[in-house]
Amino acid sequence: MYYLQLVINGIIAGSMYALFAVGLTMVYGVFRFINFAHGELIALGAYSALFFTSPPLSLPLIWATAPAVACTVCVGLLQDRLVFQPLCHGTRMTLLIASIGLSYLLRNAIQFGFGSDLLSYNVDLAAGYEWGPIIVTRMQLSMLITAVVFLTFLYWLFTRTMLGKALRAVADNMELAGIMGIPLGRVNRTVWILAATFAAVGGILLAMDTSLEPMMGVINLLKAFAAVLLGGPGNVWGALIGGIAIGVAENLSVAVLSPGYKDFIAFAVILVMLLFRPGGIFSFQKGMR
Amino acid sequence: MMGSLKKLLGLAIVLAALPVWAQDAVEVGSITPLSGKLAVYGEGFQRAMNLALEEVNAAGGIQGKPLKIIFEDNGSTSQGSVSAIQKLITVHKVPIIFGPAASSNFLAICPIAQQNKVVLIGAESAAADISQCGSYVFRVFPSDILQGRGGAELAKELGYRKVVLTYINNDWGVGLAEAFKDSFTESGGEIIDEFPHEEGKSDYRSEILRIKQSNAPAVVNLTYIKEGAAMLKQAFEMKVKTQWIMGSASKSPKLVEIAGEAAEGIIGTYPTFSQDTPQYQHFKTAWEKAYPESKIGVFAEYNYDMVNLTAKALNLAVESTPEALREALMEAGKGYQGVTGDKTFDENGDVGAVYGKWTVTDGKIVDYRK
Repeated sequence: MYYLQLVINGIIAGSMYALFAVGLTMVYGVFRFINFAHGELIALGAYSALFFTSPPLSLPLIWATAPAVACTVCVGLLQDRLVFQPLCHGTRMTLLIASIGLSYLLRNAIQFGFGSDLLSYNVDLAAGYEWGPIIVTRMQLSMLITAVVFLTFLYWLFTRTMLGKALRAVADNMELAGIMGIPLGRVNRTVWILAATFAAVGGILLAMDTSLEPMMGVINLLKAFAAVLLGGPGNVWGALIGGIAIGVAENLSVAVLSPGYKDFIAFAVILVMLLFRPGGIFSFQKGMR
Repeated sequence: MMGSLKKLLGLAIVLAALPVWAQDAVEVGSITPLSGKLAVYGEGFQRAMNLALEEVNAAGGIQGKPLKIIFEDNGSTSQGSVSAIQKLITVHKVPIIFGPAASSNFLAICPIAQQNKVVLIGAESAAADISQCGSYVFRVFPSDILQGRGGAELAKELGYRKVVLTYINNDWGVGLAEAFKDSFTESGGEIIDEFPHEEGKSDYRSEILRIKQSNAPAVVNLTYIKEGAAMLKQAFEMKVKTQWIMGSASKSPKLVEIAGEAAEGIIGTYPTFSQDTPQYQHFKTAWEKAYPESKIGVFAEYNYDMVNLTAKALNLAVESTPEALREALMEAGKGYQGVTGDKTFDENGDVGAVYGKWTVTDGKIVDYRK
């Protein structure tokens, strides 16, 4: 039962990593670079929600979510427009470095606006739901439901809509997709909108669960990064499974390893994958992009 | 050609004049976490130091010259602290440096200060190892050995013979846990389970599950504000019924603000000092006047004492050699009654301490009384 509980905790923690990893890997799939500023989108989502719940607006958190996500999406689109688009003909290295710079810029902007002190939404606490020896907290349940809803939406978008098909085509080969008349601008914007939305929603949940600080995104980006590598860069479903796998491995490790070294798992995954399977665990087959 | 030469000459004159202008003030350095994970505390440290600085300068400064603190941000990391101290020593050539918070960061720069004969003073670093850093290293904050003993005594006093021990996985946490363990087991206590936890995580549920499994009546959790708040919240949601015993680093209104209801009833130790002294009353009024917007920060009193004590030492020093400054600081500390009590340094540059108990009642941090 103890192990089952650890696995459940792992799946839920992992579903949050997956939410971040999916955005990261989508951007990689289309633009071929790892966006280091993705972590700041997570923090930005959380901080925008704080802005809307604080005076003068004082919206309830649930109503603050939509405008907060909208703000984050705007920043995501602006990132693309002002930084990545002008550099898109440069090397991947240029984009990567630009994203690192952008990450610092955004983080410091958050610190400038909100200070570096810990902040919180002041959500009421509630005791968890118990099923026999298994306990799942309300927060965990919200995380799980959100992840399921958003990822199902993504599945539907990718498999049932023209836009999703276009997205996959662009990820496969941008030039060819352009030649075939797929509107690249629209697809690019969609990728940024999706990535920013997922990051913002995840960020808000994370902040509800713990607290807000400018560094909050950076810490989680590492896990997302490991998930992306595990699933194979650019592979959306790989990132999803990768995120959950890392969450489960991390939480199970608490039973055997010292919890003081939880991050070790993510680092080990990154190393092992880069050394032995840089294409991800699904590299033997062509993942769905 | 002539134009640019003139400009260059002008620039050279300005540059040459700079150090002369700077020498009008007595400069000391401070390595402060103004960004990164400890920035939560850093701003408060800086406010406290600036408060003392203003008072020192209003009272005539150092032998007629104003005192100036050069703040260097260390990004809350050891690497950042090392670059900061190197910059302070080589570029600014300061004789006294206020060390960074977090014992790991402090320990990283100890040997550099000792080697370069620069007086290093800490106002937050508690690791037991710092006592062995060398003759140029001082602190106005008591060593962990004392706090570890204080925590063990508290657990015993509350009647807990069996506890789970968890601590943050860094120099400070490990050192404090060792000190607690030694003292607790020596007096017949038993530690049922012991594990470190990682800094900066958002999910501690599996660690808490381990606590829940052990059915411990009390858990000694030596951690910081953010981690402490997250753990308390998640433990509350997971219906863990236990007595939390915490250290001084989590004693903050922030912890209560974030953890809310979950923080009710936790009990902790902290190095204390009387709030009835005229020194404390003076500090409190001055703080409230200078910073009406913000509460007195964690360790603010220690930072305030550190600057005042340094100013006293600089005024006592007959010359500005490292040895003279070191001796002046020893001398200044003798019987010095600061906001945080007696600051007499022992041969390791350490001060003594009195430990108090705190608890959270109705969302407020108050002194614990049975």
